[in-house]
Amino acid sequence: MSNRRTLTLGDVSVGDQLPELVIDMTATVVVAGAIATRDFMPVHHDRNYANAQGSPEIFMNILSDTAYCSRFVTDWAGPEAMVKSLKIRLGGPAYANTVLTYSGSVTSVDAVDGGEANVEVTFLAVNELGQHVSGTMVINLPAG
Amino acid sequence: MAEPSPPPPAFFQERLDALVGSPMGSGTPNVAPDPVNQPMIRHWAAAFEDGNPAYVDAEFAESSRFGGIVAPPLMLQTWTMATPMITGIKERGGAPLPSNDRGPLSVFDEAGFVGTLASNSEFEIHRYLRLGETVSARTVIESISAEKTTRIGVGHFVTWVTTYAVDAGPDEAGEVVGIQRFRILKFKPGSAA
Repeated sequence: MSNRRTLTLGDVSVGDQLPELVIDMTATVVVAGAIATRDFMPVHHDRNYANAQGSPEIFMNILSDTAYCSRFVTDWAGPEAMVKSLKIRLGGPAYANTVLTYSGSVTSVDAVDGGEANVEVTFLAVNELGQHVSGTMVINLPAG
Repeated sequence: MAEPSPPPPAFFQERLDALVGSPMGSGTPNVAPDPVNQPMIRHWAAAFEDGNPAYVDAEFAESSRFGGIVAPPLMLQTWTMATPMITGIKERGGAPLPSNDRGPLSVFDEAGFVGTLASNSEFEIHRYLRLGETVSARTVIESISAEKTTRIGVGHFVTWVTTYAVDAGPDEAGEVVGIQRFRILKFKPGSAA
């Protein structure tokens, strides 16, 4: 269960590091994410098919990527942090049986109406092959 | 089958320019088969081990700024994913449903740009979805780049934009709840320098 307190304007500064999110990317994790996002492409659940397509393993689908990006940020910011935007650039695949680590920091903090704050986080997820995704997310924090 | 001869570059670029603004798929909005619902949200939250109580804990959600359960914002694309016909999905290369429509991107395949690599995904979330709302999605091609030389070969970046709305009907635009931009590279395999 994530921390139920949500950060507010005074809690956040540019340069703050988010706690890392480490995903042990087992085949089960890849398949669970693909099916929960209703993505039945065989490269996300059938290793023989993935091999025939030139991939050594099944790999995570993009809808799972965006899911983990939001979890990475809201695990830190709290349950009432509202996602406003997400931009990711895709790098190498997240194959099954690798470890994916998300890290990031606060890159802007803007006070908005009524004591709320818009906070930009810039992040990166890497695995054994190198960079998997990089991107930014803007969240809105409630008034304190 | 004979290799298709590449069209003259000027003609090809004209065909690409004509694709901008054209719909992906049938052109009619893609309506979610089910409204936003707790079982699918619970399944999603379990898969990603996302413990945010705003998604599953009604008591917490009602006392929060959301005023009730909300769907995970990045679940937006999940609602309108096609209900697949599992039989034959492998033979169809992963396409969820059989289709005779070759789609607007077949222009690239005919010209040898048969490779596809996903490059970027971007979301603007205008507001969170609530239980019972039905999402629909409309997707059009937004832009096509000039030919680029990349580390995996020569190709064109194609960006399409999907507008997600609730309460949309045949003659109603509905309320826009989010926008997604998705960019791929259509490239010629084996053309890397």
